[in-house]
Amino acid sequence: MAMTEEQLAHLVINWVRSHLRSGHSRNGHGEVSADTDLIATGLVDSLGLIDLIAFIEEQSGRTIDLRDVDPSEFCVVKGLCRIATRNGQQ
Amino acid sequence: MRRSIPRTTEDHNEEPVTTFRTLLRGFLESAERFASRDALVVADKRLTYRELRDRSASIARTILDCEPESVPLAALLASRSETAYAGVLGILGAGKGYVPLNPKFPVDRTRRMLRRSHSQVLVVGREALGQLPRLLTGVDRALTVIFPDGDAPADLRAACPGHRFVGSTEMSEGRSCGFDCEPDPAAVAYLLFTSGSTGEPKGVPIRHSCVRSYVDYVCDRYEVNERDRFSQEFDLTFDLSVHDMFVCWERGACLFSVPEQSVMLPAKFIRDHELTMWFSVPSVVSLLSKTQLLRPDDFPSLRYSLFCGEPLSAVHAQRWQEAAPNSIVENLYGPTETTIAISHYRWDPTQSPGACVNGIVPIGWTFTGQHCRVVDHTRGEVADTGELYLAGSQVTDGYWYDPENTRHRFVRFPGTDGTLWYRTGDLVRRGEDGCLRYLGRIDQQVKIRGYRVELQEIELVLREASGAEQVAAVPWPVVDGTADGVVAFVSGVAGVDEPCILKRCRETVPDYMVPRKICLLPEIPLNANGKIDRRELVKMLDEGM
Repeated sequence: MAMTEEQLAHLVINWVRSHLRSGHSRNGHGEVSADTDLIATGLVDSLGLIDLIAFIEEQSGRTIDLRDVDPSEFCVVKGLCRIATRNGQQ
Repeated sequence: MRRSIPRTTEDHNEEPVTTFRTLLRGFLESAERFASRDALVVADKRLTYRELRDRSASIARTILDCEPESVPLAALLASRSETAYAGVLGILGAGKGYVPLNPKFPVDRTRRMLRRSHSQVLVVGREALGQLPRLLTGVDRALTVIFPDGDAPADLRAACPGHRFVGSTEMSEGRSCGFDCEPDPAAVAYLLFTSGSTGEPKGVPIRHSCVRSYVDYVCDRYEVNERDRFSQEFDLTFDLSVHDMFVCWERGACLFSVPEQSVMLPAKFIRDHELTMWFSVPSVVSLLSKTQLLRPDDFPSLRYSLFCGEPLSAVHAQRWQEAAPNSIVENLYGPTETTIAISHYRWDPTQSPGACVNGIVPIGWTFTGQHCRVVDHTRGEVADTGELYLAGSQVTDGYWYDPENTRHRFVRFPGTDGTLWYRTGDLVRRGEDGCLRYLGRIDQQVKIRGYRVELQEIELVLREASGAEQVAAVPWPVVDGTADGVVAFVSGVAGVDEPCILKRCRETVPDYMVPRKICLLPEIPLNANGKIDRRELVKMLDEGM
């Protein structure tokens, strides 16, 4: 059964938190939620973004197509998860 | 008016002449010619040349009213906002050089830059307001803080009684600002800080004469005109942002500030705004490529695509060329000390692959009128491989209040005409045709996403935070010649408190210098010369450590 947006978001939040332990947070703390802007807060850098996208694709089994996506959507956890689940429905 | 700036070498040979055009002059002339055309698009808002001029004039007049003294520099803490751009122009309009500070940098680092610049005025954008209480409480000199985006909050005024705050309603009207400071080619246009191996950021002052040479040359080379639409990817603390702003405004074009969220993946932004001039670090090509966002004919509007700041791989140059088929792709090269960029190489899909070394695009030839020498360790000129030295009207003459580093990096060759040369620390190979190819560094400086990083600066923080004697930082991973991050190694201690060490790093150095992880080793491997064997450390990481 396909993963829901919420289930995927839960996994992604855990992934981001595990990466925070490696020290990549501009604000220096590990607070992250489905609404967190990963780029503006500095939680995810360029390499982290690639890894994160790969993680979501692996978990959801779907390809993330960012071509026509507004950056304000893919920078937020729930936005990325929405894109992944939406792509699967197309 | 001539300003009391520290001169690190003899006076410039050229005397100031009244016809000299400062960095600001190009913008002001465009504001006369193209008053109702767009000068800036930032955060979805458009500002015409007239509007941007008026905003800048108000900041300039306020600075002059607050601080009639001839302090040569004023600082700016803002990013990707109207105030960021109007602040740059306003400070220049007040006859001062600007010192960009980055709201994304650790407060301690920003405070050190602010102190070292000796600025007495700080212009602040709304986006940096949250940093102010911590920043200002540690500054012992009384500052005038100008806040054009509103009133300075009462609690901030109360928390920092030693500083004077000027909110938007207290600012002077710009109408009385004539932008009429006497132009001085030797005055500092901007002061930037780069990573320093001693742990203190090095200040690089760039004078109006240096940046005027650059802007004139580049505007002509790329035939910039008022119909152009420029990208603005770089943070203001990165000198390549000076190209974006002042090459654009020199000819009446429009500057499109790339929002923070689009900086890494700007493909949609380029298409939506039909940009004609692109300028970024090559890492952007790599990211777009990995995320399938770089496809043939994606960017037909681009006329020129410029890359600078780190090695450009042939694969990426070609991939970008296919995505932007109507654009000329150029690789630019230049340390901050030589003003933005000083050499160029034009990509030719047919010829260039054969000209690359290790898959890296050449850095080409110096701009017309600028000079290079390739020398060996005795400073003798060599025909092919050696350290690159640079000289010419774009090369600055020393570091900000730092005579020791100045003596070390800015030199004259005995028995010559006394020309001042900048030692880049870059190892290059010069071909028979004079084309320069970048081979690497002769020291421990690396580039992370285009930013200059002295590994010793990271190691100083690591040593202090871990208590370990033996520490090492290496750039990793490195893909297509560009490093994406740093990994740290520690030995000689029983264990490492990784979160604690990384927290200390985050408080001290910018994001791109914070190690991705810290590895504890029984011993740091050494090479035959007894130095840290960084190749071995990289190998350990490549093998999955």
